[in-house]
Amino acid sequence: MFNRELVKGSTSLLVLQLLNDRDMYGYELVKEMDKRSEHNFQVKEGTLYPALHKLEKQGYVTHYWHEQEKGPARKYYKVTEEGINMLKERTSEWHRYVQVMNKLIGKHES
Amino acid sequence: MSPETQRRYLEALSQALSFHPDRSSIIEEYKGHLQALEHEEVPLTYEALTERLGDPDEIAEMFKEEHSVTESRLHWLFVFCNVLLFVGGGLLTLAYHLFDWNVLQWLFTRLLSIPTVIIVLYFGFWTLLGYEIGKAFGPKGLALLKKTYLIGIVPNLILMVLTVFNIIPRRWFDPLITTEFIIVCIVCTGLLYPVSLLACRWGRRMSL
Repeated sequence: MFNRELVKGSTSLLVLQLLNDRDMYGYELVKEMDKRSEHNFQVKEGTLYPALHKLEKQGYVTHYWHEQEKGPARKYYKVTEEGINMLKERTSEWHRYVQVMNKLIGKHES
Repeated sequence: MSPETQRRYLEALSQALSFHPDRSSIIEEYKGHLQALEHEEVPLTYEALTERLGDPDEIAEMFKEEHSVTESRLHWLFVFCNVLLFVGGGLLTLAYHLFDWNVLQWLFTRLLSIPTVIIVLYFGFWTLLGYEIGKAFGPKGLALLKKTYLIGIVPNLILMVLTVFNIIPRRWFDPLITTEFIIVCIVCTGLLYPVSLLACRWGRRMSL
């Protein structure tokens, strides 16, 4: 488990990264995040939705409803062109930050 | 998770979200999430569900925070602040010429002696405007910035026209209003948009 503030600050970036791979609905995002982080990155699942709504308000993601044969319709989120651009920008910044931090604390990037 | 637990959670969330115009759509999303959880076949009490998803009140608070910053509110807040600055300045000038109060004399003279500081502070206001819009609305903020600028700039242009064409007697602002000062004001007015645009782009970087 990581520091709560650190997790909070990087959730939007992770969401964009996951949506860049494929369109997903909220529950799917949570499960994918958990799987890829090997259960190390855990957020309160319900808090993901306000983050998604904010990203949508900012124009980084958009949504569509998908009807299912069984059960209620699912709200899928899709990253926009602006979201992809922002993701590239912030990912590159993140890599630079990790490199510098690793140098500063004397560890090698794994 | 029992249907009763689901219902209780959704009801608590729905009640906490009573302020939100998209409440039904949000609740529908959470309903879908709870139904997906059912497939995990992990027994969840209400407390365990709250621990996993988050407290309904806390979630509603996050939505409230996100919902409180709307395009319209931010737009009119800045337009209002700009109008307030001009109305305040106008009233101060008028009062200075109409009343012989020491405090007004002191304040007016002090303000006229620091035009550079006022210009810098005013640029600060427009920088803040751009930054806040960019931070809150990301790429969508550019259109809002244009709209806010076009309306916000009206008092500036009116005052400039009134002063340049001497409709407001320049002597009211003596010794401030000189040809050089008017040129500086015109240039600065032209720079307001590029400055707030740069700030908006900076804010956009901070939006994620």
